[in-house]
Parts: sequence; C-alpha cells; structure tokens
Amino acid sequence: MLTGALAADLAVNGLVTGLFYGLMAIGLALIFGVLRIVNFAHGEFYMVGAYAYTIVAARLGVPLVLALPTAFLFGAALGWVVERTLMRPLYANIGSWGLMRDEYAVIVTFALSLLLVNFVDKAIGPYAFRAPALISASRVVVGPALMSGQKVAAALVTLAVLALIAFFLRFSYWGRAVRAVSQNRLGASLAGIDATAVSSLVFSLAGGLAALAGALLSPIINASPDVGAFPAIKSYVIVVLGGMGSIPGAFIASLLLGIVESFGAVLVSYQYRDTFGLILLILFLLFRPQGLFGERGREV
Amino acid sequence: MSGDVRLRREFIATALLLVLLALVPLVTRDVYWLGVLVVSAYFAILASSWNLLAGFTGQFSLAPAAFAMIGAYGAALSAAYYNVPPIVGLIIGTGVAGLIGLVLGRIVMRLRGPYLALTTLSFAEIARLVASNSINITRGDLGLPLEPWFNDRVIWFYVFFGALTFVICGLYLLLRSKAGLFLEAIRDDEIAAARSGVRIVFWKTAAFAISSAAAGFAGALYAYFASLVTPELGLVQQTGLVVSMTVIGGMGSLIGPVVGAFLVYVTSEWLRDVGGWQLVIFAALVIMFARLFRTGLWGLVTTALAPRRRAAGRPA
Repeated sequence: MLTGALAADLAVNGLVTGLFYGLMAIGLALIFGVLRIVNFAHGEFYMVGAYAYTIVAARLGVPLVLALPTAFLFGAALGWVVERTLMRPLYANIGSWGLMRDEYAVIVTFALSLLLVNFVDKAIGPYAFRAPALISASRVVVGPALMSGQKVAAALVTLAVLALIAFFLRFSYWGRAVRAVSQNRLGASLAGIDATAVSSLVFSLAGGLAALAGALLSPIINASPDVGAFPAIKSYVIVVLGGMGSIPGAFIASLLLGIVESFGAVLVSYQYRDTFGLILLILFLLFRPQGLFGERGREV
Repeated sequence: MSGDVRLRREFIATALLLVLLALVPLVTRDVYWLGVLVVSAYFAILASSWNLLAGFTGQFSLAPAAFAMIGAYGAALSAAYYNVPPIVGLIIGTGVAGLIGLVLGRIVMRLRGPYLALTTLSFAEIARLVASNSINITRGDLGLPLEPWFNDRVIWFYVFFGALTFVICGLYLLLRSKAGLFLEAIRDDEIAAARSGVRIVFWKTAAFAISSAAAGFAGALYAYFASLVTPELGLVQQTGLVVSMTVIGGMGSLIGPVVGAFLVYVTSEWLRDVGGWQLVIFAALVIMFARLFRTGLWGLVTTALAPRRRAAGRPA
C-alpha cells in the first residue's frame, strides 16, 4: 500500500505542514520559557493575522509584500497590549501570588480567546474570507510531491523567518536576554537584564509569528473567527513534545508532528488523524514531561 | 470554624436563590424563558461541579463540557441501542462519566497548573473528536435523537431545579464534612496536607470522579431535555462558558457558580436581541474579574456587607 513515491510525497507534505506548525509553536514555547504559562489564546493571534492580511490585501489593495509584514506587526502589537495589561501581575509581585498564579493565567488567556473569537464574529462576521495568494501557480512540483503554489511560497517565507528567529535568539543581545530569562528569571535580572522588557518582547514576537502564520495560510484555509482553534491545539502538542519552553525542541517536534500526521492519516486512520497528536501530548506529560529534548527537573 | 460559618451562609443564600427561582412558573409560563432557565440550571450544575474541582481542590480541569457530553452520549447510546427507560439512561450516563473521571483523575493526579490544563484539554478534544468521527455508532455531527422524557416545560423546569438542588445539597454535605477540609487542605498546600495525613491520591481522585459524575448527570439530563445529543456539547467553548460563569460568580464559593450561571445565561439571552455581543461582554467581564476581583461577584457582595456587620457589632 505504501509505495516509495507515496512515502516521499507524504514526507514532503508532512515536512511543509511541520514548518507552518513551527511558526506557531515557537512563539508558544518562547512564552512558556519566559513566563511559565501556556497562552490559550495563541490560536486567536493566528486568526487575527489571517484577517489582517486578508483585509489589508483584498479590501485596501495593499501590495502582498507589504500585507505580510502588516499582519506580523498587527499580531505583535496585540501581543504587546495583552502582555502589558494582563500578564504583568504574573511577575510584578510574584511573591504574593503563589497558588492562584497558574489558574489566573489559564482563565485570562482562555477568556481572551473567547473574547477575540466572538469579537471578530460580531465585528466582521462569521463567514469565511478568501485571501489573495502570493503566487498564482496552482500546482508546483516539489521533488516527489505536488503542491499548490501558495503552499510552496508560504513554506519558503516560513523557512526564512525561522532562520531569522534562530539568528536573533542565538546572537543578538535581546535574543540572549530572552534565553537568559527563560533559564532563570531572577538570575537574569540580577545580571542587569530587563526581564519585564523581555516578557513584552517575547509576547509581541509570539503574537507576530502566530499572526504571520495565519497570514501565510489564509489563502489556503480562509479566515474565519474560529480558524485559530486547530493550529493552537497543534502547537500545544508540539510544545509538550519538544519539552515545554525549548525552542529547538519545538522546531524539531513541529516537523515530527507534521510527518507523523501525514503518515498516520494514510497508514493508521484518516478519521481519527487529529487525535494522534493529542494522545501523544497526554502520554508525554505523563511519562516524559521534559519532552523529547527538554532538560530534566522541570516542575510538573 | 469560620469556614463552617462561611459555608453555611453560602448554602443558605443558595437555597434562598433557588427558592426564589422556583417561583418563576407562578409568574410566567412562557415556554422560551422557562427553557432559558432550564439551560441555566444545566450550566449551574456544570459550573458547581467544576468549582468542586477547580475552586475547592485546586485542580484546574478543562474538561467539564467533555464530561457532560460523555454523560449525554451514555444516556443517548443506551437508549438508542438497548431502549432503556430514561431513569436508567440517566444512571448510565452519570456512571460512565464518573468512571471515566475516576480513571482520568487517577492518571492526572500528579499534574498541576498548565500541565493539568493541557492534559484535560487534550482529553476533552479527543472525546469530542471520537464522538464526532465514530459516525457508524454516534451518527457523528448529525447527532443522536432521543425520545423526550417529558413534554411539559414546567415539569422540565422543576426536574432541572430538583437536580440542581440535589447537586448543591450533595456538595454542601461533602464540603461540610471532613472531606471538604481535606480538599481545601490539598488546594492550599498539597505537601503539607500529605504530611498531616491527608490521603492525597484518594481525595484528589475522588473529587475528580464526583465532579465528572455530576457533569455527566447534567449532560444526561440535558440529553433528554434537548432530545438530541451532538458532539457540540463537548466543545471547548462550552467549557469556556462554564469557567466564565464560575469566575464571574465567585470561584471557591458554593453559591458563586450558581449565581454566575443564571446571571450569565439569562442576561445573554436577553442581550441576544441587542445584536448578540453578549459573549464579547462576558469574556471581557471574566478578564476583568480575574484581574481585579478574584473572588467574583459573591466576594464583592460579602466584602460590601462585612464592614457594616462589624460596625453594627461594635457599639458595646
């Protein structure tokens, strides 16, 4: 049943899907690393990005090359506002919080997701929006696989952005500051790193990346208010698989999940393809909470 | 001691509220508004059961709607395939949800905070995906039809109020007993509770099972009321509603979830005519309450009343 050609096709398609997952999941991993919370509204940044791109490009006629960065900036601005207004108490007077901290984070991000979905539903409407594609070619041959032009173009942009993020985190001052704060918030602030600014930066970056993912995929998936739920769940799975808060882990887990899903849908069950990742998530949290590559000793 | 007084005060306030609401059919027999109150009561049971877990035991589960859906399917499937009478279907739905809750509760025992939230959310999504994709058994998104139990809205109204009263009394008795003390001790400091001899595994699992069974009970009852069971009952948004109601009403109090459920659901039906911005407003309210008034509406009420009481006691 599984011929060589089909396997190669599945692998390429899985990898490309994995790249898009990566764009989403890395933001979530960054937020978890720095703030130790799961942003349950992450999918809504994706949704906002998809709408921003569609509206700016299709309604206002802005060139597509500019519409993509606009979506990123929009997501980043939203992330910044959310961090400033809602996430501040998580670390501003952390000592007095204790027990309620985790619950607060879940409640607020969960409610934010509800707020954004319903706001867009009322303000723009529940109907799906079609966005203009970056490339008009409907079919492009990529090695052994056949893909839509938009998917190829989006994958290339994603690859470039991911490389940029890797360089930023590895070499720039702020990138190193982000990694320092994820390792040890107190230690980093004692060393003179502005942990508050890092938190804002990370939330904006994560919001921007998720929005960019939404913008890149909007010609394929069409923007609608609840479009973010699906990629959000994928990114939860990835962040757990890669080890909560680990960026390289999240990237590798994204590619892995993409491949596992594309093969699983053919080999195991198409009907239940969306449950594989969720089952992996539960198994990992129970038996290997540090993820595939995470360090030991994270509190569970 | 003061906890006991607080709990009794909350119980009396809840009882008064329920009595007041039970008089509604004397005023109106409007089918639509009685239906709204029935659904509110359904949410009140869900929110109260979730509150036992999240508010009293400190286990922040994101699966209450999934357990309601499981209870509903338990009733609908046994009715569809074995033709059981409603009361048996109700027991089966409650039992299945309770059993699954027992197993899940035992499994997630050691997880906390974001890890617990993610695990229960995944469980909820798996349950919903299985229900909506097992088309030859559940008919998928088409839903399973069910013979309605009663046809009179007033009877349904009192059935749901009876069920809610039953759940509230059960919770009150549970929380008033030693068990309530143990649960709150676990919430406040698990390690200290264990060191003092509280059987952590037993009580955490028990709380999870009881909460799930209550949610399943609500779901099964709702299945007979709606006479159609769809996977939509288990949507994460439904859990979002349950969380919103509890947070707005007051988490960790007996009355909070009941007040929250009725307030949120009834006003949202009201606001439906004004363009349907209700969910936006409530989500914003939840964020505001979580950010500024963490004890919810009930907490606001008690703090507003407290100084006056002290002032009244002082002039001696």
